[in-house]
Amino acid sequence: MRYKSKLVTLLVAATALTAALSACGSASSNGNSANGGAPNDASPSVSAGSSSEAPSSSAPSGEKATISFIHWRGEDAKAFDAIIGKFERENPNITVETQVFPSDQYQSTAQAKLADGSVGDVFASFPGAQFASIAKAGLYADLSGAAFLSNFLPSLIEAGQRDGKQLAVPYQLVYNIPIYNADIFAKYGLEPPKDWNGFLAAAEKLKSEGLVPIAFPGADIGPGQFMNPMVMNNAPDPDIFAKLEAGETKLTDEWWVKTLSQFKELNDKGYFQKDALGTKDQGAGALFAQGKAAILATGSYQLAQNKKNNPELNQKLLAPITVSEDQAVYEGIHTTTFMLGVNAKSKHPEEAKKFIEFLSRKDIAGEYANATGQNVTVKDVEYTSDELKTVAEWTDKKTRFQPRFTITNAEIQKAVTSSIQAVLGGNSPEQAAREAQAIVDQQIGK
Amino acid sequence: MKPGKRLILFYLPGTVLYLALFVYPTLTGLYYSITDWDGLSPSYRYVGADNYARLAEDIVFRKSFANNLKFMLAVVLVQTAVSLALALQLTKKNKRTVALRALFFVPTVLSSVSVGFIWTFIYDPSLGALNGLLEKLGLGALTQNWLGDMDLAIFSVAAVQAWAHIGQMIVLYVAGLQAIPRELLEAARLDGGTRGQVFRKVTWPLLAPAAAIVVSYTTIQSFKAFDLVFTMTGGGPAYSTEILSTFIYGAAFTNGTFGFASAASVVFLALISLITYLQFRLLRADRVSY
Amino acid sequence: MRGLGRIALAAYASVILLPLMLLVITTMKTTPEFYADPLGLPRRWDFSHYRELFDGQTMWRYFGNSAVVTLSTVALELLLAGMIAYGILRSGRKLGGFMFALFAAGLMVPSQVNMIPIYSLLRKLGWTNSLTGLVLVSAAVLLPLSVFMLSGFMRTLPKEMLEAGAIDGAGEATLLVRIVFPLCAPYLASTAAFLFVIVWNDLLFPILLVGGKDKLTLPLALLQFRGEFVTDYPMLLTGVVVSTVPMIVLFVFLQRYFISGALAGSLKG
Repeated sequence: MRYKSKLVTLLVAATALTAALSACGSASSNGNSANGGAPNDASPSVSAGSSSEAPSSSAPSGEKATISFIHWRGEDAKAFDAIIGKFERENPNITVETQVFPSDQYQSTAQAKLADGSVGDVFASFPGAQFASIAKAGLYADLSGAAFLSNFLPSLIEAGQRDGKQLAVPYQLVYNIPIYNADIFAKYGLEPPKDWNGFLAAAEKLKSEGLVPIAFPGADIGPGQFMNPMVMNNAPDPDIFAKLEAGETKLTDEWWVKTLSQFKELNDKGYFQKDALGTKDQGAGALFAQGKAAILATGSYQLAQNKKNNPELNQKLLAPITVSEDQAVYEGIHTTTFMLGVNAKSKHPEEAKKFIEFLSRKDIAGEYANATGQNVTVKDVEYTSDELKTVAEWTDKKTRFQPRFTITNAEIQKAVTSSIQAVLGGNSPEQAAREAQAIVDQQIGK
Repeated sequence: MKPGKRLILFYLPGTVLYLALFVYPTLTGLYYSITDWDGLSPSYRYVGADNYARLAEDIVFRKSFANNLKFMLAVVLVQTAVSLALALQLTKKNKRTVALRALFFVPTVLSSVSVGFIWTFIYDPSLGALNGLLEKLGLGALTQNWLGDMDLAIFSVAAVQAWAHIGQMIVLYVAGLQAIPRELLEAARLDGGTRGQVFRKVTWPLLAPAAAIVVSYTTIQSFKAFDLVFTMTGGGPAYSTEILSTFIYGAAFTNGTFGFASAASVVFLALISLITYLQFRLLRADRVSY
Repeated sequence: MRGLGRIALAAYASVILLPLMLLVITTMKTTPEFYADPLGLPRRWDFSHYRELFDGQTMWRYFGNSAVVTLSTVALELLLAGMIAYGILRSGRKLGGFMFALFAAGLMVPSQVNMIPIYSLLRKLGWTNSLTGLVLVSAAVLLPLSVFMLSGFMRTLPKEMLEAGAIDGAGEATLLVRIVFPLCAPYLASTAAFLFVIVWNDLLFPILLVGGKDKLTLPLALLQFRGEFVTDYPMLLTGVVVSTVPMIVLFVFLQRYFISGALAGSLKG
């Protein structure tokens, strides 16, 4: 029968393949190829540096120890490949095997895989809720007192500390404030505004010239990113969200309702592009790259990618000041992320620490930064590109650690960003705040 | 003819695999619904029915539940109606209908991630094809913020779910239609019935079992539409596209409340079982023999 | 009313074709060209995105992984489920009914419930990050559906043939291989096609169980593109095209099986 022979062939082929598959087993190659992480609505956004596929490099397999390095930044794969190559030459008895998970799933997959210690000897984590969750589960090895800590700028590694111990070291430095097109600003004689009225006036000017003043990706990362500079001066208390989670303050209080009203104001006056709520990162980025929008409400992590889309861009960073000039406490928002930690269950903790030490050397960190377009938390690094230098200027300014990341309960974080979406969708600030607070109350058990 | 004891051997390998890698983990997973396990720590505490109590009151859960119902109704209505309408046109066995049926079936073989990406692109307010097309046709007034409008988003996603599965439902309907004996149809026609009457009095009743299956299958699928929502909207904006499966995922992995998520899964399971049971009853009630 | 029907068909055909055509066209534009004119035809048919995607060996690797996993899973599935369905067919009402219910119940379980426990279990067995583990888990999870479908098919077989064989002294195994499987061959093919689509497109278990870059399956790789090419729609959509072309090609040639498989998957039982 015709069918029968087809079927038999299929079965035989499949069986043969399975056999071949098991023979290969879980062959570990040292290939680290490009693919990777991305921002999404509720996660912190650390996005594209240079992006392209890298061929897998196969290195001689180590005899002594193989450590596993897991993270979400596929776009950094080439850079890491090169660095790992150097590390392995310096430490011939250590092999580093990398696994990259897309950042959307990094949360769930990392969580599941860390617990047994065979994966993620060195692993990256997000500050805030993920850090708290992994620390609570006791999965960070204590790095306090390690010599390499002195390679980092002290203020920038605080996000990895808990109960007086250094559990993880943030590697990347990102400023979550909007990017602006310096050429457009120059053309219309604008300077980064110093207060709210100034900000509105600048936006009005841009609008009257036919541009989109602010490209805002309301569908995914916009609310979570832009909320930070918007709230930083409305609620200068660095513990404001901790207090929210403790029930000592509410979203219906003035500081958040004001923030929501300001979002609404920007939207109602047409300073965001039309249908901002439906625009994703791609759309907003496109508007900016084409020069149709003057400001992009995301963060410094997109500088490199924008440059790639339009090499003519001249980009700088600015933050909206939501109060009057004399009341402004902060100039911007920083996040120290991509926190490197050693798995407490790792079977090769010493080798893992060596790898982190290697990454913290300023020449290596510099190599990483210049290759990926991301600034780092390591001291005395030499940056080569304009974008990196622009960002480096901000280390001297008074910036605040990203408030959104101080929210440890992910559901509360989502309620907060959703209230912004609700306001952009037409709800009143008071109503949106009330609905969000109801969720907060439930989460904190009131 | 008593089948020998050797029959057990036939069951063995598959059942062992099933019990080990499916049943046992499912039961374990359900067990966690009475704990506060976060999915990560080595230890957890028993909390009895706490998770369920919290679930009943949880605002986001309620929203997900309501959204899921909206989604399900929209999908079922559109998917079943459109596929029936199209199937009625495709019952003849000629090259054209076979080709069309195949074409309509194509979205079904695409992965839901691909479908999600394609349609996210089409729905994009500034770059996307839908608004662009409407503008070009002079229907600019109809342009919407398809995935960004809190009232519209869930229905936009429902439309995509229907798009992806209509082809499959057409196949079901065509099979059902082709099973109706020609003589009955011809007899009805000869008796002077108009097309409408023939459909109502003859076709529809005989089609009812197939229709019931279409509805039941569509319903269950719509509850499981995780990939699509995840890819297109992530539950937003402002929870408007959050459905039960995305809620469970969020509770388990983003919020680190695995026990809570398991409780939601139990409710989810119960709901689907209930619906399936009701559908099957409906099906049996409509079994027509002729 | 004839005309209305024709219009409806044409309308729906365009609802299917236009998105797909747009998809392909977009991948043929250069990125700046795309952002300048998202809906227009490309000035030149540009294949640079495809070249970029296939630069390096990884794309072929993903194809390979997907192919191996899918074929192995489907083969294993047919074997195991076939045996079980046969068992159900030949068992008495109580045992057969019980086994059937045992498997059918599995159809209603949402994947999030057993995701983490399955992972913990595989961890203990040391099968994480292995394609073998993925195949076994996929096979286990698909048993409800496969058993459901195949037992439905087998029930339509003429009982007399089996009884005649049994009377002639054939053992169960012989009956299965010599009589049932050949009769079921087209059904097995349909089920295989149906399962093939599911496994090829599966996202959930590959995400969880496969980590190494070299072990990714296509849908997983596609998801990663979103991260990497976040502001590069044409590139992202190129990934979509490349991941879906194999399925479409297979579908065009094996339509009959896909369609009858889908029919059976929803209908039988």
